[in-house]
Amino acid sequence: MQLRERLAAIPAARGDGRRADPLARLRRPRVPFVTREEHLAIDDLALAVVGRTPPDAMLLEQLGLRGDAPTRWGEILFLDTETSGLAGGAGTYVFLLGTLEIADGEIVVRQHALFDLGQERAFVEEIATYLGRFRACASYNGKRFDLPLLKDRVALHFRATLSVDAAHLDLLHPARRWWRARTGSARLRDLEDRVLMDPREDDLPGDEIPRTYFTFLATGDESLLSPIAAHNRRDLLALVRLADRMCRVVIAAREGRTPLDAYEAFAMAAVFERHGETRAARECLEAAFHDGDAALRRRAALPYARSLELEGAAERAIAVLEQVLTLGDGGSRSWRDSAESRLRRLLRVRAREATRAARTRPRAGRRGFATSP
Amino acid sequence: MRTDVRTPSRLLLEQLLERLESGDGLSESICRWQRLPARAARYAPAPAWLEERLTAALARRGIAQLYTHQRHALDALHAGRNVVVVTPTASGKTLCYDLPVLDAIAKDPNARALYVFPTKALAQDQLAALERLADGIDVELRTFTYDGDTPPEARAAIRNAGHVVITNPDMLHTGILPHHTKWVRLFENLRYVVLDELHTYRGVFGSHVANVIRRLRRICAFYGSDPTFIFTSATIANPLDLARRHLGDGDLELVDDDGSPRGEKIVAILNPPVVNAALGIRGSALLFARDLAGQFLSAGIQTIAFTRSRMTAELLLTYLRGHFPYPQYPADMVRGYRGGYLPNERRAIERGLRDGTVRGVVSTNALELGIDIGALDVSVLVGYPGTVASTWQQMGRAGRRESLSAAFLVCTSSPVDQFIARHPEYVLERSAEAGLVNPDNLHLLVSHLKCGAFELPWRREDRFGTEDTPGVLSYLAEQGILHEADERYHWSAEAFPANDVSLRTASTDNVVIIDTSAPRTRVIGEIDRFAAPTRVHDEAIYLHESRQYQVERFDHEHGKAYVRPVDVDYHTDADLAVRIRVLDEFARAERAGHGEVLVSALPTIYKKIRLYTHENVGWGKIHLPESELQTTAFWTFLGERETARLRRDHVEVGIAGLGQLLHGIAPVFLMCDPHDLGVASEVRSPHTSAPTVYLYDAVPGGIGFAERLFRIRDVLLQRSLEHLDGCGCDDGCPSCVGPASALGADVKSATREVLVLLR
Repeated sequence: MQLRERLAAIPAARGDGRRADPLARLRRPRVPFVTREEHLAIDDLALAVVGRTPPDAMLLEQLGLRGDAPTRWGEILFLDTETSGLAGGAGTYVFLLGTLEIADGEIVVRQHALFDLGQERAFVEEIATYLGRFRACASYNGKRFDLPLLKDRVALHFRATLSVDAAHLDLLHPARRWWRARTGSARLRDLEDRVLMDPREDDLPGDEIPRTYFTFLATGDESLLSPIAAHNRRDLLALVRLADRMCRVVIAAREGRTPLDAYEAFAMAAVFERHGETRAARECLEAAFHDGDAALRRRAALPYARSLELEGAAERAIAVLEQVLTLGDGGSRSWRDSAESRLRRLLRVRAREATRAARTRPRAGRRGFATSP
Repeated sequence: MRTDVRTPSRLLLEQLLERLESGDGLSESICRWQRLPARAARYAPAPAWLEERLTAALARRGIAQLYTHQRHALDALHAGRNVVVVTPTASGKTLCYDLPVLDAIAKDPNARALYVFPTKALAQDQLAALERLADGIDVELRTFTYDGDTPPEARAAIRNAGHVVITNPDMLHTGILPHHTKWVRLFENLRYVVLDELHTYRGVFGSHVANVIRRLRRICAFYGSDPTFIFTSATIANPLDLARRHLGDGDLELVDDDGSPRGEKIVAILNPPVVNAALGIRGSALLFARDLAGQFLSAGIQTIAFTRSRMTAELLLTYLRGHFPYPQYPADMVRGYRGGYLPNERRAIERGLRDGTVRGVVSTNALELGIDIGALDVSVLVGYPGTVASTWQQMGRAGRRESLSAAFLVCTSSPVDQFIARHPEYVLERSAEAGLVNPDNLHLLVSHLKCGAFELPWRREDRFGTEDTPGVLSYLAEQGILHEADERYHWSAEAFPANDVSLRTASTDNVVIIDTSAPRTRVIGEIDRFAAPTRVHDEAIYLHESRQYQVERFDHEHGKAYVRPVDVDYHTDADLAVRIRVLDEFARAERAGHGEVLVSALPTIYKKIRLYTHENVGWGKIHLPESELQTTAFWTFLGERETARLRRDHVEVGIAGLGQLLHGIAPVFLMCDPHDLGVASEVRSPHTSAPTVYLYDAVPGGIGFAERLFRIRDVLLQRSLEHLDGCGCDDGCPSCVGPASALGADVKSATREVLVLLR
């Protein structure tokens, strides 16, 4: 039997119906890959912090940056890739690398696109050279996805690696903590809609991108690539705007203007607490406690009471716990147990302090049980 | 008072064996009783080139010299040749690869090695062994297992730092090769690849593994390494040939001059007596084995029993525990061991066996492979394990270097077992079977070409297997699976192809079996689509891990069978109306041939067959469409003159009986499971225009059984005739041609007539 006949009977040899256009080979891409460059004014994106005030190392660390913090925004490369699949591994290509840098007071967006898979090596060489200029990057889920894939390509062709992520600000993680409770999603596109209030229209869904690219390869129809490029550009802009938004929120909270959104305030309190900014943390907890719904109030009550106690405002801590325990119908058994035990402890301390105060009445006032400041 | 059972002695075993052989209990069951003499060790000094620190460490462990086969392997490896080591259980095979690997790492800390074991348990065991050996040496050695159990956070470190990475073929296939860019250090510096238990890489699984090795060598070449392969195998007929098919090109040397010492050993094949002569029914092998093992255990003799399934392992364990009730006997005197036990439970049993606190163990073939449990005194096999190689592996679990040991095979009533009961020489004297693989099966090639394209683009001049590689590649490109650019074929699909290829099945088109009884439905298994209509039709009893499930609904279109567990005393057997169309005849001989065929199978009815007694207790209709399988087949047929000499009705019954008989006996020669072979008997086949029996590979594309059967057809027919003549039944039984009630009266004599004419 002929090979073709035998192959026709084998399910694994059957494609998904997307057949190659025999003429496509004649229509080779005019160039194997291109880099498109676009310049934007910082004002156009309404950025307030990014690109305007020098990056603050502590702030970047609070957003999750690991590694040496850059001193200029221009040293951070914002990046996002489009790939031939999500599985990873040696057969997943990066065919579009979008980058955004801030240079000379403006925003430069570059899109490196691969048209000819046969020229991938040269393409990877070019983007690796470009990435080699940077020691810091910002991404959305780049730690798990974009960077490993880029490194795979560089390893495959050059046995080398990349150091663009020596310091890496992956905004997925803070975004998840800050906004998922409110928006129900941490997808970049949903955050653009619900946090930046700027919904996308005509966006090519991410899961259609690999298939679209393969169709381009099979047909040579370059018009298929423009929606992908538009999607990628949009992701990049959203990335830098979200970063700016996060910086702005942190700076404002530090200055006493806590976020309007209670969940955001609660997430931010944890950031401040970790970095020892106790006042800002307390203010955020206060906002979360007063503005939050019942569930959030329960979650915020214990850390809020704790922060009040540390500050010496034990009376207020007692009031917070009493309030939440009186109002709170709901809450788990263990939550209630720990809230009650914390309250009992505070009351015990108060009683002891009162006795001691009574005994040392002649010299009263030094460290009496404080009234609220 | 507790009986002290921890005083084994040679004298006791000797006396016990004598009583069994000559006394009244066993004599009528003995098919063969053989005494294998003791053999002294043959030693050779460690080679001078071996790292001094290693030689010193060996000496500290009391190993002053190597066995001859170990030295032979080391020398061949040192000369850069690939080797295949074929020596029995407990002959020190592990040192044949651990020593050269440690030597290479001691001399060059960058050197890397990859160990591939067929199971995870074995990988753990070997890891411990290698670490023990490396312990006394001042060499930095980082050894890791990399498999499905490896925590994600540990993986990055293993990829970069592991000197020796221990894994299994499935993980190599889906977890390592497609991610080779994360393993650059390993592939650049890979010096040795160890493939242990080579004999398990046969059939469909082996054919897949051979392709995985091809892919591995391709990646190594890409990174500039050319590792030396070390294969080890149990005794099989064709180790060099099998290793060659896995290795591909390169020097290959056979190391089989076993220099390890053996104690004296009794090997016996036993057949439980007939309890119902008319139906040809014998006593239960399980109960027979219980009594046998019980006698040894009562005498304090350390005993291992092997069963063919998990269920029988559990049953035998229950029986034996009943035999030795607590508290008269220690509670853990007899333990069970099988897949499904927790890893630390297994480790505890292995330790107990080594230090002697566990006196008896009932195991599935899980303990057959090289896990270190020390040497026991007696091994009892319940049922023929399916291959001569496995038989020797399991029997080899009993066998001390200095003292007497014994191994017994207790036959069940299956055709293969009864064949062996009548022809013990097939196990004891014949060389083991050949391990067959067919890596060039087009179905498999296509799958692995896809996986290979994902790993590295194919160049036009690349060759992979014997098929026309460029032809397959350009076909896949036409289908849009690959994309051709710059003279190379690139993977051009979103999917991760290795995930779609299971090494344990041939076809990518499977039926999944879904248990609906649990609160959350779960997939308990999968079977080839072609096999599905007879195995998972509505109402079928499906056995999985020895549990019975009944199929509630078979969704043929979507490839799903919904089952729930049941407890019934029968199994089901579907009748297939099978038609064979010969597409291509590869070879023809007098009254036989083999070639490519299209098998069309239409399931008609199923019968309910009572367990053990094989009575027919009911039937039902099957409503399913016909399915097709393109595969290879062997056929044998009667000429016109011979047919004319037979009674007309004898032709029909005889050719059907012959089909049953050959199907029962052929697995003995093929090292395969009866399910791997299909059978069709046609009174007048369109291809031969004569009464014909077809035996076909039950795997799309075939894995070489047909060709092998064609080559051994004379022996096969001769042995089948002897088996038929030796069978004590009146007119057919499940152990030979099948019962006359199923095939027609005179089936036995009619089959015999056909056989005599065919020969």
